[in-house]
Amino acid sequence: MFTDEQLVEASLDGSAGAFDEIVGRYQERLLRFLLTRSSSRADAEDAVQDTFINAYRYLASYDSRWRFSTWIYRIAIRNAARQRRPEWHDSDVELVDDSDPLKECMAHSERENVWLAAKRLLSNDSYDAMWLRYVEDLSVKEISSALEKSASWTKVTLLRGRRKLSTELAGTTTAAEQRQSYGRI
Amino acid sequence: MDEFEKRLKRDADAILAEASPELRARIHASLQSTSQVRPAGKKAEPAPANLWWASSLTGLAAAIMVIVLINWNRADSVPVPAETIADVTVPADPDPLLTAPMLDIRTADFTSPLEDELVKLQSDIEKARESVKKDLDFTF
Repeated sequence: MFTDEQLVEASLDGSAGAFDEIVGRYQERLLRFLLTRSSSRADAEDAVQDTFINAYRYLASYDSRWRFSTWIYRIAIRNAARQRRPEWHDSDVELVDDSDPLKECMAHSERENVWLAAKRLLSNDSYDAMWLRYVEDLSVKEISSALEKSASWTKVTLLRGRRKLSTELAGTTTAAEQRQSYGRI
Repeated sequence: MDEFEKRLKRDADAILAEASPELRARIHASLQSTSQVRPAGKKAEPAPANLWWASSLTGLAAAIMVIVLINWNRADSVPVPAETIADVTVPADPDPLLTAPMLDIRTADFTSPLEDELVKLQSDIEKARESVKKDLDFTF
């Protein structure tokens, strides 16, 4: 089992299959992330494709002192930012519209997906920082590098995002419990 | 990992993100037609081993030649007898007469007979003595 960094070296040395292995490892992770950032599944798939093309083209500029995931997520975030961005802070009606790539996820769950709440409540950078920290397990330093922000900004943003989401989720739970109790009454 | 973090991870996993075969084919086709950009001068080609050996040997030969030439010239220019080297271990003090500065010596131009000169000299000495005596009296 080769590490990402070893696969990058092999690809730079001319191994054709090495980058295919990288694509296999990251395509679903990137697609999952970009589905939450793009306005449609087609846009998310385009962003995934562009991310791999850019990564392959500029693979020689990858600095192996950083984890490969940090580098490829930075490319993905830039590609997502170039796309036409939906208005995240609009009404909930727009979020459950047919064009929203997370609609399917919501249909399979009885409660709201926390990432939908995050999408509604947090800024783009804050959302990205939360995703990289709690889904991709990147360190604060790596998130700072991926988002091109300072470490202190990342720490504060993570703290505020977590606090905001926790408050929202606690409020949702309380309201649901209240509705249940009202129903029993 | 607390409950909040577990929920974040669980909900992320709940997002259906299976890459379709069409997407895989698109990515594969794109990569086939993409070439890697190599930054110029980032990875310098290592020098061949033969060049390293050649440069080392040339440097060594040049150093040996310089050492030989210096010793050769020194042997020609300083012919020291063997016994001198053997006897003298500490450098002797040089002769002070040989090292004394050259004096500007001129012959005295005597225009009068020696007796007259003697009288004049005695009178000069007498004047000088009186002058010294006066100075001493004046001082003390």
